[in-house]
Amino acid sequence: MKHTTVVIIGGGATGIGILRDLSMRGVKAVLLEQGGIASGASSRFHGLLHSGGRYAVKDNEAARECIEENMILRRIGRECVEESEGFFVLSQQDDPAYEKPWVEACAKAGIKTEPVDVKEALRLEPNLDPGIKAVYRVPDSSVDGFRLVWHNAMSARRYGGEMLTHHEVFAIDQEGGKVKGVRARNLVTGEEVCISCDVVVNAAGSWAAKVVELVGLEVGVQPDRGTLVAFNHRFTSRVINRLHMSSDGDIFVPHGSITILGTTSFHADRPDAHEAPTEDVLKLLDIGEVLIPNLRSYRILRAFAGTRPLYVAKGSAAGRAASRGFHISDHSEEGLDGMFSIFGGKFTTYRLMAEKLCDLVCEKLGVHAECRTAVEPLIADPSPAMMEKAAKYFPVHSVPLVANRLGDAFPIVVEKAAAMKSNPLLCECEMVTRAEIEYVASDPSSHSMTDVRLRTRLGMGTCQGTYCSLRTIGALTECRVPFPLSPADNLRDFLQERWKGLRPALWGLQAREMELGRAVYAATLNIDGARDEQKN
Amino acid sequence: MKRRINPDKCVACSTCVVQCPVAEVTSKFLGPRMLGPASERFRMLNAGEDDSLSYCANCKNCDISCPQGVEVSNINMLARAEYCRENRPSFRDWILAHGELEAKLVSYFPSFLVNFGMANPISKQILDMVGVSKKADLPKFASKQFPAMFKEYKQPENLTKRVVFYPGCFIKAYAPQTGMDLVWLLNKAGYKVEYPEVFCCCGTPLYTNGFEADARKNAVKNLEELAAWRKAGIPVLSLCPSCQLMFKSEIPAFFPDLAENMESTALDDAMEFILGCINRGELDISEADTSPLDIIYHAPCHLRAQGIGFPGLDILRLLPGVHAVNADAGCCGISGSYGFKKEKYDIGMAIGSKLFDTIKDSGIRQVATECGTCKVQIIHGTGNPCDHPLTILRRRLDKKTTK
Repeated sequence: MKHTTVVIIGGGATGIGILRDLSMRGVKAVLLEQGGIASGASSRFHGLLHSGGRYAVKDNEAARECIEENMILRRIGRECVEESEGFFVLSQQDDPAYEKPWVEACAKAGIKTEPVDVKEALRLEPNLDPGIKAVYRVPDSSVDGFRLVWHNAMSARRYGGEMLTHHEVFAIDQEGGKVKGVRARNLVTGEEVCISCDVVVNAAGSWAAKVVELVGLEVGVQPDRGTLVAFNHRFTSRVINRLHMSSDGDIFVPHGSITILGTTSFHADRPDAHEAPTEDVLKLLDIGEVLIPNLRSYRILRAFAGTRPLYVAKGSAAGRAASRGFHISDHSEEGLDGMFSIFGGKFTTYRLMAEKLCDLVCEKLGVHAECRTAVEPLIADPSPAMMEKAAKYFPVHSVPLVANRLGDAFPIVVEKAAAMKSNPLLCECEMVTRAEIEYVASDPSSHSMTDVRLRTRLGMGTCQGTYCSLRTIGALTECRVPFPLSPADNLRDFLQERWKGLRPALWGLQAREMELGRAVYAATLNIDGARDEQKN
Repeated sequence: MKRRINPDKCVACSTCVVQCPVAEVTSKFLGPRMLGPASERFRMLNAGEDDSLSYCANCKNCDISCPQGVEVSNINMLARAEYCRENRPSFRDWILAHGELEAKLVSYFPSFLVNFGMANPISKQILDMVGVSKKADLPKFASKQFPAMFKEYKQPENLTKRVVFYPGCFIKAYAPQTGMDLVWLLNKAGYKVEYPEVFCCCGTPLYTNGFEADARKNAVKNLEELAAWRKAGIPVLSLCPSCQLMFKSEIPAFFPDLAENMESTALDDAMEFILGCINRGELDISEADTSPLDIIYHAPCHLRAQGIGFPGLDILRLLPGVHAVNADAGCCGISGSYGFKKEKYDIGMAIGSKLFDTIKDSGIRQVATECGTCKVQIIHGTGNPCDHPLTILRRRLDKKTTK
């Protein structure tokens, strides 16, 4: 039996944010996550760091939270935020009457808007429709959700925070109306772990309702599916929003090497409704074309979907009309002391959500330490000397990307690369070298090539795994990284996961790519056959 | 102005990597796919540039081999131009880029003095210090450059048809006789040749060495002159595959605004034109020398990149007594001024070794190729004589007609 003070359920932005906050306040905490870190909505959204402009008219309070947190994250999460900006564009189809109240609402929420001459806007963003009517500049930005969660985790680890991934909670024990501990199963090994604790925090996002079901309670969380489309290259240099009441398919977010178009909003019947249907993709393209007329000529890399954990108070609206604000339940009001649930909200405000929740937890525990998550950067900037050293072992133009991806681990990987005979690029599309892949694969939280992919972007570029997956599994087998699956199964799972995202948008240039991948793996390497052979 | 080529067409098949002569011999070059379409996705987020980009020879074998039609080399050249806007190219690159200006300067001095000045061990050491390999054989300036030679030459009267000749820098400064061979052949076919001196360097060495603004100035001047002749309905002929490629496909890629209003910016290939003259009966080759002659032909990369076949080889094969084989051994390794650079000399020689061996193994002495710097490299690598196919054509015709 393991003992800690707080058990957090859910390894998304909110849960990891809470782990970091509590650890920094000196409260012992263990986090349990059923999948990998940030495998839910925190890595399945458009990656927009909201200025709040999108919510200004409808929910001014949420908009104010966004702009405040936006400014904080630019400071503490520099490695995860691209310091770009956003345009709100009034298209030919949008109602000009929305413009004035929007500008006023932004001012009220503290969001700086600046009108941009249409001609100048078209010079800056030549792919925009030349017929647009008005443009405003706002402090939108893009954020790498997965990386931000990881950097929070690194910071939490530094303060003693503990995480167990691929652990599914199956019981919450209570005694005399008070939580006593949590029992979970390691989904990789099948082992069970018991952790005794004083407080349980349910930060399971779309799964929050399932967690409270374990103690026979209910919470108003409604999973809402959002489909997104990732394009092969950046065709805008800044975030582009439609200047209208927020709706489907009206945001373009340039993101590292790609552009993401989002999002749809559909009621989902389960929290892991991660299938992106072709109808959603076509709908997004139809709407996206209003702002970017050449949209259909750009290559779609893949489509993916996530579920927003929308907070729906009893009897109120769902879907896009539901509140984007967050909600905290102290279940002692329902007779279970020491249990809290947090849900709703947005990625942009994860830190604030964590702070508010930790305030309540600390009050309960009698801890008086102040929240410092807004002042301390998640990771320390790499030293110029280390950057210079890295340039000897990595392609020069990949060094800032590698440093940002790796965070705390950057110096370790640079030293590893320096000690290697050579450090070839295993993934050319996203510029990932062997040293980085070997290091991440050896991290205790990595159990598969997919885990490696999430942290390195391996296989997330143009070829969607066609070249890098074979090279990677070869390298990892050679250096004996112990994964639970056989190399052939690992490769098959990895490719199937990649192909899953290709199928809903399987036309044009990406269909050619897919055919190449299929020819290499299904025909030449007989990847499925190899697995069956091993079974026999 | 930043110009970007949409990298979406690349399916990462790596055919270009297999066909890239540079990637084959050195790991200093990350390869065409990596520096082309793959890195282009990161250039869009201003991720910086890897030094490896300078190792692209712009030989175009990536473009030739790409099954998806990606302009790999143009992506690289645009990126290099952008990089050089912020980072000034070296003095050495300035020298290699501005050959036209240097040729003009040396034309005021006797060529033996100039060539001695350049080829003696002390000058070679100095050039080596600024980065021009002392192991390289730089081309020698002709005793009389093309403009002077052409001025002195009397074309036959009563020629009714007219063509324009765009000689390009190599012929102008180093191989004017090749240009005069063309003039002689065209006269024989009934064409009077015009040589407008306003035509200047096509810009290839300028652009590939990072002097985009200079290349643009030249393109403006050249296209203006070309358009005037176009309007008059008079073909403008070139003998140099690299100049042709610059006009035909690189100017529209590098300076799309300049090409916008022209139906085509291409020069006419003089070899295709002469082949046409033969086929139309304007140039009679029935009287040609018939003594047996074995020739091994090297197709320059920039000719292959144009996808117009090998008209030079076709001409040689029409000549009685001539047996011409295609070496088909890839790039010679020089790529304009690439193989002269100190850090690239060995790479160039390693690339060319396959061609050199093919030539040596064939047992054939006479080599033919259209490109001036390929010729320099082939002579350097094999010691064999190497000539332009038109020079060989003239030799075979001139013996009977003028003697």
